[in-house]
Amino acid sequence: MAAESPSSVRKVVVHLRATGDAPILKQSKFKIAGADKFAKVIDFLRRQLHRETLFVYVNSAFSPNPDESIIDLYTNFGFDGKLVVNYACSMAWG
Amino acid sequence: MDQKESVRDITPWDGTLSSSDFFSAACAFSEKWKRFSASVPPWLWVPSRKHHLLSSHKEEGYLSLEGMCLIKSSEEQESCRSQTWKEESSISQEEEAVDNATLVQSSCDEVNHYDFHIVYSPSYRVPVLYFRSYHSDGQPLPFGEIEKDLPDHSAKIRSESKWTFITQEEHPYLNRPWYKLHPCGTSEWMKLLFLGDTALNKNGFVIEHYLVSWFSVIGQVVGLKIPLGMLETVSC
Repeated sequence: MAAESPSSVRKVVVHLRATGDAPILKQSKFKIAGADKFAKVIDFLRRQLHRETLFVYVNSAFSPNPDESIIDLYTNFGFDGKLVVNYACSMAWG
Repeated sequence: MDQKESVRDITPWDGTLSSSDFFSAACAFSEKWKRFSASVPPWLWVPSRKHHLLSSHKEEGYLSLEGMCLIKSSEEQESCRSQTWKEESSISQEEEAVDNATLVQSSCDEVNHYDFHIVYSPSYRVPVLYFRSYHSDGQPLPFGEIEKDLPDHSAKIRSESKWTFITQEEHPYLNRPWYKLHPCGTSEWMKLLFLGDTALNKNGFVIEHYLVSWFSVIGQVVGLKIPLGMLETVSC
């Protein structure tokens, strides 16, 4: 049912926000297909930051499972037309 | 550096919790799990009869979820599973979820069973996940076989970040060898999780939310997913 609905083909604006001493991206807002998995955001960040150990989380509350779909995350946790994703690089550990 | 220090000024919380906080967090987590994950076994509080010299309060114990079957994370089954988690409000979906489970079980020759315990570590002052696995006939699984049951991204997480390594250790209450996810980085990333939210920084962290947030990270390593509805209860 969810796969057929138009909401899964729409694009979602993802706002990537650095926390701690993680480097800030030149461009922080991206459009990504709602049907994509959250893993895509993690991989993207990894490539951009050249860091392997990243901690990626949403709403200062939890770290989404990589196979969660972007549209589901947006529907549940989106705000002001975008999904805010925080990221931090490994600090004390590693 | 300046930035880091100013952050520390706002958030004196160090990512840890006391053992009585753990008990409150465990109760809240178990309640929420029951409400949102009706199709999987519940997390139950197991009181401990063990007597400690220092902490003699009655909230001593751990959370336990036993008899879980981890479904191999092939793309197809993975999507079935997320459907099961997603829509629990409608009855027809719930029926579908039950059907899914039956189908998967009958198609697999060998189903491995998993027991998970969440135990409080007094030395790290954080929750620790212990687990063990066994075949249907009760024979324990070596780690090499457990690894095959874990989702693909689990290996990635474990190889990349040093805070999620798995070791075999004595279960603090059962005195038998169980696998555990080492807690040495836990307080650090828990601190990170709650960082950046001004409301939380002002009021301190919310104890009831601690285990849900914690499990959103830990669950990924062992292939246990938290339903989005449950995560919604902790997000702002």
